[in-house]
Amino acid sequence: MHLLKKEMQILKMNINFTNEQNTFRDEVRAWLESNVPQTPLLSLDTKEGFEQHREWERTLNQGNWSMVTWPQEYGGRGLDLIQWLIFEEEYYRAEAPTRVNQNGVFLLGPTLMEFGTHEQKSKFLNAMATGDHIWAQGWSEPGAGSDMAAIRTTAVLEGDRYKINGQKTWSSRAAYADWTFGLFRTDLDSERHKGLSFILVPLDLPGITVRPIPQLDGEPGFAEIYFDDVEVPVENLVGGDGEGWKIAMATAGFERGLMLRSPARFQQTAAKLLKLYLERQDQCSPMIQAKVVEAWVQSESYALSIYHTASKMLAGGSIGSESSLGKIFWSELDHMMHQTALKILGASAELSEDPQNDAAKWIKGFMFSYAGPIYAGTNEIQKNIIAERLLGLPR
Amino acid sequence: MNFIFTEDQIQFKEAIKSFLTDECTPQSIREGWEIKKPFNQERWSNLIDLGILSSNLPEEKGGLGIDQVTLTLMVEEMGYAGLPEPAAEQTFLVNDLISILPQNIAEAVEDLYEAGTKYISLAHPLAPNPLFAKDSAGLILLDESECKFISKENIDLEIITSNDPSRELYKINSINDSISSNENFTELNAAVSARGSLMTAALLIGLAQKMIDLSSAYVLDRTQFGKPIGSFQAVKHMLADVAVAIEFAKPAVYRAAHSLSDNNSKLLLHCAHAKFMCSRAAELACKNSIQAHGAMGYTWEMDLHIYMRKAWSMMACWGNEDIQQDIIFKTLSSSSEELGVLYTF
Repeated sequence: MHLLKKEMQILKMNINFTNEQNTFRDEVRAWLESNVPQTPLLSLDTKEGFEQHREWERTLNQGNWSMVTWPQEYGGRGLDLIQWLIFEEEYYRAEAPTRVNQNGVFLLGPTLMEFGTHEQKSKFLNAMATGDHIWAQGWSEPGAGSDMAAIRTTAVLEGDRYKINGQKTWSSRAAYADWTFGLFRTDLDSERHKGLSFILVPLDLPGITVRPIPQLDGEPGFAEIYFDDVEVPVENLVGGDGEGWKIAMATAGFERGLMLRSPARFQQTAAKLLKLYLERQDQCSPMIQAKVVEAWVQSESYALSIYHTASKMLAGGSIGSESSLGKIFWSELDHMMHQTALKILGASAELSEDPQNDAAKWIKGFMFSYAGPIYAGTNEIQKNIIAERLLGLPR
Repeated sequence: MNFIFTEDQIQFKEAIKSFLTDECTPQSIREGWEIKKPFNQERWSNLIDLGILSSNLPEEKGGLGIDQVTLTLMVEEMGYAGLPEPAAEQTFLVNDLISILPQNIAEAVEDLYEAGTKYISLAHPLAPNPLFAKDSAGLILLDESECKFISKENIDLEIITSNDPSRELYKINSINDSISSNENFTELNAAVSARGSLMTAALLIGLAQKMIDLSSAYVLDRTQFGKPIGSFQAVKHMLADVAVAIEFAKPAVYRAAHSLSDNNSKLLLHCAHAKFMCSRAAELACKNSIQAHGAMGYTWEMDLHIYMRKAWSMMACWGNEDIQQDIIFKTLSSSSEELGVLYTF
């Protein structure tokens, strides 16, 4: 009773890049080398820096690099997730500017691809690619943070328009963005997850007040948005009226786990950390070495896991609650790496004056790394999701 | 680039899982403990009959020629079941080494072990006390400078107790006669260590998965304050942390296995990476599983410790976390090879 019949050929897994993939990598690299701005752009959370970053989005689009996975008709290249990972690796290697439109290209884009009408895809994906529409998120409200189903901002259908009233908060990029997407209560008698709709709103409409909120670094990375009888056409509804929760969850589970934070970002940080340590090894405690190794090993593991997931998705699989595992992993890793960098820097770890100085960059990244375990659903919420949906524990 | 298993690999893994679920129950492991004979001859014979012990030998030598990735999936299941018999050792550390052992030693092993059906034990500075050496036909011994092969009658062994009653370890008192070679010793030594790291990594992933499965079931069943303790966030979060650790350790194991099958130049780094991640995951699985079980976790009666003990042993031998960390750091700080963001594969 042999477990395996002799004639059963065990095919091998192949994890080497193909020639086609390597050629694609070369193409991305060459383009980035001649197009990435020589001098770093100003912070994207300043008015001037925001416009510089918008300009970079335009440049990317001219090279047809806005979002390589989108179909060509919407400004993409129709490539697969492995090619997207290759693109991201080259992007971080080239130290190209942060994507000011990441809410658009990485979050709203995949949502529209799944739930948008042809007209919506045509209009919004193309404008996203050209940098004409930079997007802000509109999920949280003062009374609806981790408990997002407690949303109270209403959008009442009157004829062919929704009339919106209420308040959103922690809206990333809203200080300077052009549009916001989010969940609104369209059925006033509904409760919790029911009666919510996913609606797209231009931020320059009458009745909208945006109040920027300075973050830990002093810059307005997010904002409050007040809606006072704001009217948007019914065409701005994504999916069906009342289907908002389903759509928002699909965005979160389906692509966010894979796309929000690509592994190259953390591998690049780990490599810089190793370099920093090797330069200053004689000035630091030997205890730090273990953390440097851990950073490298974990960022490598994150990359492997994402390639594994991308391969599964290419084979027709999907990711759901698994994305919560990744979110916890990268956010803790990012914090650990920045904390370690500051330890290596010793007393210079407080010198944030000179923007060209290593210390200044690490300090900024260090502060931002505290946001990771909070945004995109706190890590505590992610752990509840893992326990309930992956381990089968009761609510 | 397709970092995913083939249908056949998954079927193979499932077949082994189902065999071990039936044949390697916690009760059967405890019976071996009670009679102080953890090596179950009947189960071993079944492993031979099923072709598992020879699965990774080439077809012309009576095997199935499975690669190291498939082998790793199989070994993961042996960890999950807490299999006491040295099937992982035989396949990973003997079969897979035959082609790189010095010729005189390879010949001696092949003369004795009848295409993988007779067990050969192995000792190495990272795992110095050969496992089930009394049940083996001979011993491969790597010391600081050379590789030896000693047949059973030429060796004086003394039993030495492991904290894991599933592991019968021996101390080598003396050797009468051996075949030896120092040919390509450095390469051989590295190849053996890499396989030891990867084998224990794969076993640890299976063990960690078993522990979290046992814990999830326990916290659903056990009620306090009128509800299952698994509904409390403090308990949920502990187990979620283990799930995260396992999720990110697994791909490191599969990549290392692929590097082994591909003879990748970064093989040693990849195996160290795998063992590091799996040791971490298993350590957390032990800590949080026993905590989730409460006082029951601290009893002999609960099955949890069958797997926890094996995990502690697997973390300790073939290079613990700190040894792997040193290997990784040395490679990172001195390698002429490109590492990092563009060189994951």
